[in-house]
Amino acid sequence: MPEDTRIFNFCSFADLGRRMPLRFFLFSLVWFVLTGYDGAGWIIGFPAVLLAACLSLLLSPSPGISISLVGACRFIPFFLRQSTLSGIDVMRRALSPRPVINPGLVSYSTFLPEGAARVFFVNTISLLPGTLSADLHDNRVTVHTIDRDQPIWANMQNLELHIAVLLRVSSVKEKK
Amino acid sequence: MSRIYIFFALILLAAIAAGMVRILRGPTAADRMMVAQLFGTCGVAILLLLAKGLDNMVLLDIALVFSLLAALATMTFVRRTWQGNDGEGADGYPS
Amino acid sequence: MDILHNAGMFFIILGLPFFLSGTVGLLRFPDIFTRLHALTKADNVGLGLIIFGLALQSDSWLMVARLFLIWLLVLIASSASCHLVARCAMQKKIQPWSRP
Repeated sequence: MPEDTRIFNFCSFADLGRRMPLRFFLFSLVWFVLTGYDGAGWIIGFPAVLLAACLSLLLSPSPGISISLVGACRFIPFFLRQSTLSGIDVMRRALSPRPVINPGLVSYSTFLPEGAARVFFVNTISLLPGTLSADLHDNRVTVHTIDRDQPIWANMQNLELHIAVLLRVSSVKEKK
Repeated sequence: MSRIYIFFALILLAAIAAGMVRILRGPTAADRMMVAQLFGTCGVAILLLLAKGLDNMVLLDIALVFSLLAALATMTFVRRTWQGNDGEGADGYPS
Repeated sequence: MDILHNAGMFFIILGLPFFLSGTVGLLRFPDIFTRLHALTKADNVGLGLIIFGLALQSDSWLMVARLFLIWLLVLIASSASCHLVARCAMQKKIQPWSRP
């Protein structure tokens, strides 16, 4: 993938000098969105942003991910569509005269590497139609499904591939 | 015109009130705690609608704090209360 | 402006049934996992629609950004707490309800 599609790159070595300004910028953006054009607010805002940036570096020095812009362009519409469908799906099941559910547990092993990618995967599962991540042991995710007749396996793989593209995970290397 | 937002907020309040039945029924502590989660999301929506209806943007900040507090409450509950011994059997049902 | 206002109103009204069905699911579904399904998914879609509607009606970009920041935070918070509750239920060996 060409270099210019990267917007963030946390991948590099432990160079604080590079990560600190980026996080400072991101937290400043959040502060700006929350407080608006109020200049005096930065008297509190500046120390708060600085502390937040330091704290985030302390808690998670290197997330080890980089977000691909192309992946984000594909992932966001996919996610919005799927989560809307999941809401409609739940509404249909809840409002039908007899709740149409056929729940069960499915175990799925993911090729996504440990850390941010896997956490992101687990959290996204819960917002997709018919699936809910119930447990995570190493790379095995226990998924609770509301309907065992749905193609859970295919949905999981689809989501996994979208996340792999979004977070630039090379699927070939990790897959066994 | 702005009354309609307050009407929408009332509908959502009714949704929370109906959800409270789950607190009475249980059966596990987590079922009861889920109503707090419902309170979180519904509460945010109510506050956003009220912010629009009453034209008071301070409510938007309250909505933000509300959502974070609801998440914090659930996490604290799971870590501190439900995983510890609080008079429930191993199956999670009251013993 | 009027078209945007009406479109916003449409999305807000569209969001309300999702909240109601989330509550209905919370009351009607048989076990903790299925209730989590109802709560997490329906409420987030409802909130998303209401926020989208309000964003269409708002008059400044800053307000739109603020609304979407709130939505993003609620999304992260609810999916994380949903997973935590489900995992704790699994550790407590609560058997998921299954169709007889």
